[in-house]
Amino acid sequence: MYDILVAPFAHYAFMQRALLGSLVLALSCGPVGVFLMLRRMSLTGDAMSHAILPGAAIGFLFYGLDIVPMTIGGIVVGLLVALGAGAVSRFTIQKEDASMAAFYLISLAFGVLLVSWHGSSVDLMHVLFGTVLALDNAALTLIAAICLTTLIGLGLVWRALVAECLDPLFLRSVSRMGAVVHLLFLTLVVLNLVGGFQALGTLLSVGLMMLPAAAARFWTNRVAPMCGMAIGIGMVSCLAGLLISFHASLPSGPAIILSAGCFYVVSILVGPRGALRSLAAPRRHRSA
Amino acid sequence: MSKILKFASLVSLMMLSPALLATASGADLNVVASFSIIADLAKNVGGDRVEITTIVGPDGDAHVYEPKPADAVAMSKADVVLVNGLDFEGFLSRLVETSATAAPVVELTRGVTPMKLADEPAGHAHPEDEAAKQAGHHHGEYDPHAWQSIANAEIYVKNIADAFCGADKAGCATYTANATTYLDKLATLETAVKTSIAGIPKEKRVIITSHDAFGYFEHAYGLEFLAPEGISTESEASAADVAKLVDQVRHDKASAIFLENVTNASLIRQIANETGLKVGGTLYSDALSQETGPASTYIDMVHHNIETIKAAILGS
Amino acid sequence: MPSPTCLTFDDLTLGYGGHAAVHHLSGTVARGSMTAVIGANGSGKSTLMKGIAGILKPTGGHCLRASNLSVAYLPQRSELDCSFPAQVIDLVSLGLWPRRGLFGRYRPEDKAALAAALDAVGLHGFEKRPLDSLSGGQMQRALFARTLLQDADLILLDEPFNAVDSRTLTHLLALIKQWSREGRTILAVLHDHDLVHAHFPQSMLMARKVIAWGATTDVLTTKNLQHAQQFQEAWDEDAPWCGSDAAAEPADVTAALFAGPSAKKVGTHV
Repeated sequence: MYDILVAPFAHYAFMQRALLGSLVLALSCGPVGVFLMLRRMSLTGDAMSHAILPGAAIGFLFYGLDIVPMTIGGIVVGLLVALGAGAVSRFTIQKEDASMAAFYLISLAFGVLLVSWHGSSVDLMHVLFGTVLALDNAALTLIAAICLTTLIGLGLVWRALVAECLDPLFLRSVSRMGAVVHLLFLTLVVLNLVGGFQALGTLLSVGLMMLPAAAARFWTNRVAPMCGMAIGIGMVSCLAGLLISFHASLPSGPAIILSAGCFYVVSILVGPRGALRSLAAPRRHRSA
Repeated sequence: MSKILKFASLVSLMMLSPALLATASGADLNVVASFSIIADLAKNVGGDRVEITTIVGPDGDAHVYEPKPADAVAMSKADVVLVNGLDFEGFLSRLVETSATAAPVVELTRGVTPMKLADEPAGHAHPEDEAAKQAGHHHGEYDPHAWQSIANAEIYVKNIADAFCGADKAGCATYTANATTYLDKLATLETAVKTSIAGIPKEKRVIITSHDAFGYFEHAYGLEFLAPEGISTESEASAADVAKLVDQVRHDKASAIFLENVTNASLIRQIANETGLKVGGTLYSDALSQETGPASTYIDMVHHNIETIKAAILGS
Repeated sequence: MPSPTCLTFDDLTLGYGGHAAVHHLSGTVARGSMTAVIGANGSGKSTLMKGIAGILKPTGGHCLRASNLSVAYLPQRSELDCSFPAQVIDLVSLGLWPRRGLFGRYRPEDKAALAAALDAVGLHGFEKRPLDSLSGGQMQRALFARTLLQDADLILLDEPFNAVDSRTLTHLLALIKQWSREGRTILAVLHDHDLVHAHFPQSMLMARKVIAWGATTDVLTTKNLQHAQQFQEAWDEDAPWCGSDAAAEPADVTAALFAGPSAKKVGTHV
């Protein structure tokens, strides 16, 4: 048992760092993913992974293949896209899914233009997106900082965020915080995604954000426990995935995401709000 | 690269005049090379008679390259297209179709004895490594990096000379002469490499790079290369692969660790950090360096690689 | 001593996209009054509520609230996300926002107030029920509980009795009357004229502008109701701009609203 579960982490520093980094990211992404899912913005992660291309391209144009400027560029453009789409959906007739699609496509096209114009043969994104097995101190610090920012941010505006999701018109009638809170939330989304891309790659970053949240939906009917479950599922998936990657020699990112995927399928089937429960006829009911 | 593109486009436009005019006046032969290494070989064979357009330029990664419309245009105007073959260029078949080029597409690995991906050089038995290496592979069953062996590079050169002769009979004499000169240089290079390696103690001939690009070099010259990523930079490393490399270094079975010019450096740095091995420098595997860099021609590349390796091993 | 006037409308115009749903409204609402706002569909009632609540900015004129006036607004339920994973207690405790804001910790008296609010609307024991399991009437009662908790001076109710059965209706009416006795000002959009006659001393009859405003018996006359029925519900893209030479007087506005380009009579609206 020790050999299977603990030894890989005890013997290899890179495994410890991989575990630490992915656990911290799961902690940070879980609640963000829950809110994204509840607001029907689940595909934002995918869109964002394409949208940040011009940011990375501009970083590359000025500084070459240096990770830091490319990441900063990615965050700046990611914020522009997310906040722009958010503002459009708030203050105009357009809904969030459409405005996000529009903005990310424009950004992506712009990015491809920049890359082609400069004539680089290197796949910028291939260079920018990291792997969980290669977390150096800078990457770990980045993930930790993002996690701290996210937890503090969410903690501060929790009540407003829930109100904004549940009854935005009511919130508007008692406070002006609605728009600010929404944009703050989008900022957290971008930070988690872009920081995650750079440290861990797109699949892992987006996957850790959305899959545990999607799975958690089947287990509980309140937001706070849902966030807790998402964090829990995320963390266990990271652990399981890394162990599978180690023992069965499979790529680490996909292994973690597939572990989360297993949780998801199990949740659909046997979760208290899942499919089998609703299909199975209840045997008895209370008299009152 | 953009300068070459512009120039090539300009020249291509001029070639709208009938082929008769082209061959009679000894104008340039339009050659498209799929990546920088074979472009350099082609330059040495063709000399001034050829105008070469390279698709995947210096420091470029052909494993993940996405072609642009300009590439298709260059292809369509080419007289000869030189490619590596053995599924190295994933983008190639689509590009050939789109450009509808009339030029012959010459695979330079014709005549090379390809190494199967499961091949292990004689004298090295690492059965547990095989599974790890297999896991990262796709792109066909053969290792495409044939140019890493100088003997194979000589075959490439001969194929190039044949291709040029076929497309431009008038210049055949020049091409053959150039090829012969260059082949001599390559022979000298090979002797130098073998001498260099002989100077490295046998037990220290194991090193670590980013991806499995040096199989042919290994096979020909007796150095062993280990890598976390498989044959293609598109694949992703597994924790087991990385752990094996760390073990390898720890048990003093690997002497040096190197970055490559076409991949993300972080994984290699991670292994270096964990094992305390310093990164020995950058090796050039799938592409030449920029003109100002240390590996701007094939010969420079091989020299640079072997010297960097030797310095790192003997210095450690 | 709080001023006797709760709200003052000064030539208030509210609308969307260049057209007004409420034209040139002027007048005052006395503190402690109970006013029913009636009119056909599209007559501007909900728009007026939104304007008073501060959600819609006026396109002309002003809506002035007495200083330190707290307002509770019960909308027509359109934006509430019932599929959001929340329980009744989460919805109702939103009512504590005016007192606690974003950061205020909930105190023991808040918990008691929550329980009392749920009791008052007849939802005792419903705290942990998921929102998507509530019937229409139960949801409406929960929203009333939230409004109750807001403890506001001015209460705006937009069609509060939609989808509510008669037992609930009686219950909620009693609650509203209790609010009025406590000195709160009530403005409620209603459709049932009998209910208005029975329980609301003041009324405002609207047809994109005020037709009549005052005591219910004076407002809800046959003549006024007929007049209101003839208003033009649809927007006229060719109507002259209000305030331009072509339509200088509010009286012309009335004419425009009631004549329309096709001059057809708008039929019966409920």
